[in-house]
Amino acid sequence: MGNAALKDVSFEIKENEFVFLVGPSGAGKTTILKLILKQLTPSSGTILVNNMEITAPNFNQTENLRRMMGVVFQDFKILQDKNVFENIAMSLRIQSASRSQIESEVQEALELVGLKHKERAFPSQMSAGELQRIAIARAIVGNREIIVADEPTGNLDPKTSWEIMKIFKKLEGKKTILFATHNSDIVNSMRKRVFVMKEGELKKDIKKGGYDL
Amino acid sequence: MNEIITSIKRTPYQSFASFLILFFTLFLAVFLFGMTTFFNGILSYVETKPQVTVYFQNETKESSITSIRQQLVSSGKVSNVKYTSKQDALKIYKNLNKNNPLLLEMVSADILPASLEIYANQISDLPQIAEQLNHMQGVDEVVFQKDVIDKLLSLTTMLRRVSIFILAFLVIVVFVVLMTTTAFKIALKKEEIELLRLLGASHSYVRWPFLKEGMFFGFASGSIAFFLYYLIFFVLQPVISSYLSGIPDLSFLGLGSYGLFVWPPSPLFILISYLLTVLAGIGIGYFGNYLSTSKYIR
Repeated sequence: MGNAALKDVSFEIKENEFVFLVGPSGAGKTTILKLILKQLTPSSGTILVNNMEITAPNFNQTENLRRMMGVVFQDFKILQDKNVFENIAMSLRIQSASRSQIESEVQEALELVGLKHKERAFPSQMSAGELQRIAIARAIVGNREIIVADEPTGNLDPKTSWEIMKIFKKLEGKKTILFATHNSDIVNSMRKRVFVMKEGELKKDIKKGGYDL
Repeated sequence: MNEIITSIKRTPYQSFASFLILFFTLFLAVFLFGMTTFFNGILSYVETKPQVTVYFQNETKESSITSIRQQLVSSGKVSNVKYTSKQDALKIYKNLNKNNPLLLEMVSADILPASLEIYANQISDLPQIAEQLNHMQGVDEVVFQKDVIDKLLSLTTMLRRVSIFILAFLVIVVFVVLMTTTAFKIALKKEEIELLRLLGASHSYVRWPFLKEGMFFGFASGSIAFFLYYLIFFVLQPVISSYLSGIPDLSFLGLGSYGLFVWPPSPLFILISYLLTVLAGIGIGYFGNYLSTSKYIR
């Protein structure tokens, strides 16, 4: 038996709740996100997402599960050979959305992230902050109810990080957001529910908490 | 289409390798298909010619010949028997030598033999029919086109076997090349594929662009191989025609009544050959990339 990445972790997030997941490197934050996204399967325990038991041995709805979720990464994961519009539309094309639905939803998302004027630009022409905005837009289109963000401000300067957080604030109450971060300033100022992870364990679950390791 | 062009631009050498191997395979397939159907046409043509001709001795009575004819017909192995009397033989001789009066003066019906031209149901029965005739009374000579037919049969059989072997070998090579080049393309698109999977894309959605590309290569290489083959064919047609003078239209699988002729190739035959080539190309491209994506996209 090797070391367990997570031990006795148990929590529940309500619909449209905003939760920060904090902890030092190796604490198990990314493991939790990967389990929710069904990139990993736990050796024991149960995970329920929208009343679906995604850890059930006969669970075969991984694609549908992921279509409910939007993912935002630290390194943006924006495709360089597609323009802004195409990068966002990709999320809708997967769901076989119609051309008009793609057009309207992408425009709406661009409006929300403040990139309406750059829809035909290519990633190489954009700043890091703008790339993360594209990633957020991609994560919210297609009626994705849950946003899983893994260190989305990790590669951004403080000013840009705050601009990104403003976008997340706009989504507050509309989407369920699980936000893993190291950024204590952001966690402290937002005063949201905080899960504190350490050595694979959920040490604290604080309502309206701060970055308290 | 834009997606395919982008992929080709991203991996020009791998795309060219895929295209080239498909092109060679399909060009050879068109060539071998043309050769096989042509030799089959020749074989069918030869089969319609008198297969055994039996010449009778001068003193053999017509009643004996009729009896032999009756025996042959009742054997069930013969589709038709045509009797040529001495008088008929003289008429044929006169017709053939009408421009040579000297030869006509020297010949009378007495010196020409009566004969039977025998058409067999199956070529494989020919040796037995010829052997049977050789032992009959009054028979002078049995002329039997066994050698020609045997050679044609063995040639078409060999051609078919060699074609199948070469094409099977090439199809395996195509699959290997397609799998390798597609694996490379998948590796280049690894990030995109991972992202698509995370966003909830199905396997078939991720796989489809690769399958489309395979089919596109199959279509393009099949079309180019086909047009190149027929370009060469039409350039060489006068030369081929001079070798085949005397051979009439050769039908494809006996479907001449539907306008399907191997020689000279009819438009319908060319169209069907084109469709077969392109479909084969699309099929190979599709399955080659299907195998590759099954192996490398998890």
